[in-house]
Amino acid sequence: MGSLLEIQQLSKRFGGLLAVNNVSFVVHAGEILSVIGPNGAGKSTLFKLISSFLRPSEGQVLFQGERISHLAPHLVARKGVVRTFQETTIFKTMTVRDNVIVAHHLRSKANLLDYVTGSSRAKQDLNEFADSADTILKLLNLYESRNELASNLPHGYLRALGIAIGLATGPAIILLDEPFAGMNHEETMRAVEMVRRVRDRGVTILLVEHDMHAVMKISDRIVVLNFGEQIAEGTPEQIRQNEKVIEAYLGVEDESIGM
Amino acid sequence: MKRQTIGIVATLLFSLIVVFFIPWLLDLTGRNDLYFTLTSVALLSIASAGVWLTFFIGRINMGQAAYALMGGYISTILVVNYGLSFWLTLPLAGFFCALVSVLIGLPILRLRGVYFAMTTLVLTEVSKLLALALPITGGASGIINIPLPKALKILGITLIPDFTTLANVKRAFYLLSVILMILCFALLYRLVHSRLGQLWRSLQQNEELASSIGVNISYLRLIAYAISSFFGGLGGAVFAAITQSMYPSNFTVNDSVNFMLNCFLGGLNYVFGPILGTFVLYFGWDWLFRMGKYQLLIFSSVLIVLMLFLPNGLLSLRFRRKSQA
Amino acid sequence: MIQVLANGLYLGGQYALIALGLTLIFALMNVLNFAHGQMYVLGGFITYTVYGRLGLPFIVALLASAITLALLGAAIERFLFRPVIRRSFREESTMLLAAAIAFFLDAIILLLFGEKQRGVPKIINGVLNLNFQLVMPYDRILIGVVAIILILAFILYMQRSKTGRALRALAQDRVAAQLMGVQVDRYSMIGFAIGAMLAGIVGGLLVSITGVSSGIGGPISIKAFMMVMIGGAGVISGAIAGGFILGMLESVGLSVLHSYGDITYLVIFASLMVFLSIRPQGLMGKPWG
Repeated sequence: MGSLLEIQQLSKRFGGLLAVNNVSFVVHAGEILSVIGPNGAGKSTLFKLISSFLRPSEGQVLFQGERISHLAPHLVARKGVVRTFQETTIFKTMTVRDNVIVAHHLRSKANLLDYVTGSSRAKQDLNEFADSADTILKLLNLYESRNELASNLPHGYLRALGIAIGLATGPAIILLDEPFAGMNHEETMRAVEMVRRVRDRGVTILLVEHDMHAVMKISDRIVVLNFGEQIAEGTPEQIRQNEKVIEAYLGVEDESIGM
Repeated sequence: MKRQTIGIVATLLFSLIVVFFIPWLLDLTGRNDLYFTLTSVALLSIASAGVWLTFFIGRINMGQAAYALMGGYISTILVVNYGLSFWLTLPLAGFFCALVSVLIGLPILRLRGVYFAMTTLVLTEVSKLLALALPITGGASGIINIPLPKALKILGITLIPDFTTLANVKRAFYLLSVILMILCFALLYRLVHSRLGQLWRSLQQNEELASSIGVNISYLRLIAYAISSFFGGLGGAVFAAITQSMYPSNFTVNDSVNFMLNCFLGGLNYVFGPILGTFVLYFGWDWLFRMGKYQLLIFSSVLIVLMLFLPNGLLSLRFRRKSQA
Repeated sequence: MIQVLANGLYLGGQYALIALGLTLIFALMNVLNFAHGQMYVLGGFITYTVYGRLGLPFIVALLASAITLALLGAAIERFLFRPVIRRSFREESTMLLAAAIAFFLDAIILLLFGEKQRGVPKIINGVLNLNFQLVMPYDRILIGVVAIILILAFILYMQRSKTGRALRALAQDRVAAQLMGVQVDRYSMIGFAIGAMLAGIVGGLLVSITGVSSGIGGPISIKAFMMVMIGGAGVISGAIAGGFILGMLESVGLSVLHSYGDITYLVIFASLMVFLSIRPQGLMGKPWG
């Protein structure tokens, strides 16, 4: 397993506040790596830094050895690093299927002019997008609701749609923003299954999550943040026994760590 | 496929009516005066189409009068000062406006909501003040006695006759304007219903999500804004040729607001909304002229009532059952 | 120089009051009130009628302007904006409604008061003259002071009173305010009424100095928009700052560039565009309002 994504001494300052402080780790190709930490640990800031929606104050992010942390978000996506959002961020007035079709943008072989003139290259693209969208929708159990307006989709399906949109871009690595937040046990288990299926398609997964239970179950490796600092890194087993992690979580929310 | 055929048939029918039937009817009834009204509707709806397109990418554009003014001056100055053919200045005016809009759009398209609306409103004012201040525009007294368009010849073949030789110049301008209108709206329809349109729609709904799937949002915004301004410049240029005069007051903040109203009234979800909106608004206003001093009062009351009962535009009546057109 | 500053301060006070009303309405309802300038003009004509024509005391006329506009504002919110906001798919619809209301008020004003510029007798005579360093008529000084007192009263009201606190909560977060038990509908109406009232009061104040005419509503609205944008839309301190800044800019610009006339406004407008594209949230606003 080679390293796909390298986070090197990443820091982010907001005014005087150090939200992320000197974080470094590596994501290997084909693994599921989770970043966890108590509320306010800097998880979502780190997430935005990696996906280039925020610029780091110091440090950098490398993708396949290439620096991506100075690029605009759409260029990072073009490299193959794609993020998802928390649930309500979808194209609301398009159908579920159109949401996924439009997200195939990066796989276009035709240029914009082709699409306007309706050239054969464009037609070929559009057919491919439609087929691929259907495959993705089936993979994520959304196929039945493909013709629904996205805004009418039941709550539980929205996050699956978010992941479907991300998958449509054909990413090498997908960054999931709290994919299990607000789910009950049963829903979480279904979502865990779904994330595994995505990984089995050869997509590396980096997820940021609060729910320890799901994270322990799904991750190959875990990075723990507390107050913006990285306090541990290792397999779920190692993390479970790590003194610092227990200290960080204990007393605050010992239940959610699942021990 | 079937829907496409219906669309093409409807477009052809509409074109036949406005290009052949209406002139025939007007000549028959001797209502030569209506030519100017209908010409204005066609040109204003082209400019409104531009505003509609900016709405489509999720921006409230109150700067279209600036580009109409700019297009008018460019065409006029090229014709009057440099002796260029009107037919050449027409696309030049459009492209100049598109170019300027790219330069202006680069910084301001990052703004959203009220911020974009206000900045473009200020743009309308700036363009008026510029027209007043620049030496080449002739200040407040404007440019008058603009010559009528000469013949358009390509390889010795006369495509369009010299307007000064025509018996009915009003009809010629009418035909020019409605043909331009049909072309512009056909282009707009094609754009909006292509994948490009789908990408634009994705911008309208969520720019962050669009950029996360690799869409270059600033590039797509610029394209839409440039096309929008092209339409504005085109409309303004023909307008100057018709009235044969160009003043800083030809297009003002009021026009910017009216373009917006045309789009709203027609409905922001329907490509052809601006034509309907412009038609209703312009004719309504004209028709109310007979009300004398109560014209504005009745007009604005009707607008308010329309907003109360059809806040999503006139076309929403017909499309109420469908989710999106 | 002192003269220019004093003029700027006097102008800024009036402007800030107009901008306060506009920004209050914007913050509460996310509505850009295109009819704000017309409300100002209406206030001016009411004061003109009550003070100039009927001969009642100026303060009575001013109260008449304030009350009429407050009632009008409340009615506009209750019967026009509220239903349209509820029923339209896109929030932009309120802009159309606001524009239509602006036309409507323009028409009413024209019908009732005609096209002529109207003025009223001076409220006090005399001119303050400090060695020709500063020449200022007493009535301008009085009006300027009144405007500043009103601004302070408004701030105090927003900070201290129960209504003011509810309005601020509403402006900050509509949903949260509702959860906290603020009656959203009621306070939207009150806020709109206060905003309209402020516009009417300034119209009434200024009629005694510059007079009033039916065509100036639109230009006043645009100026008010600019002030609000300079300071940051929906921010009270921003509106005050924007008002004073525009007042100063105009005063300084007109004295430096007076031989060029419109150039002053061209320069102000063009720099505003540059400023907004660099800092869209204005001086004091949060990003994206």
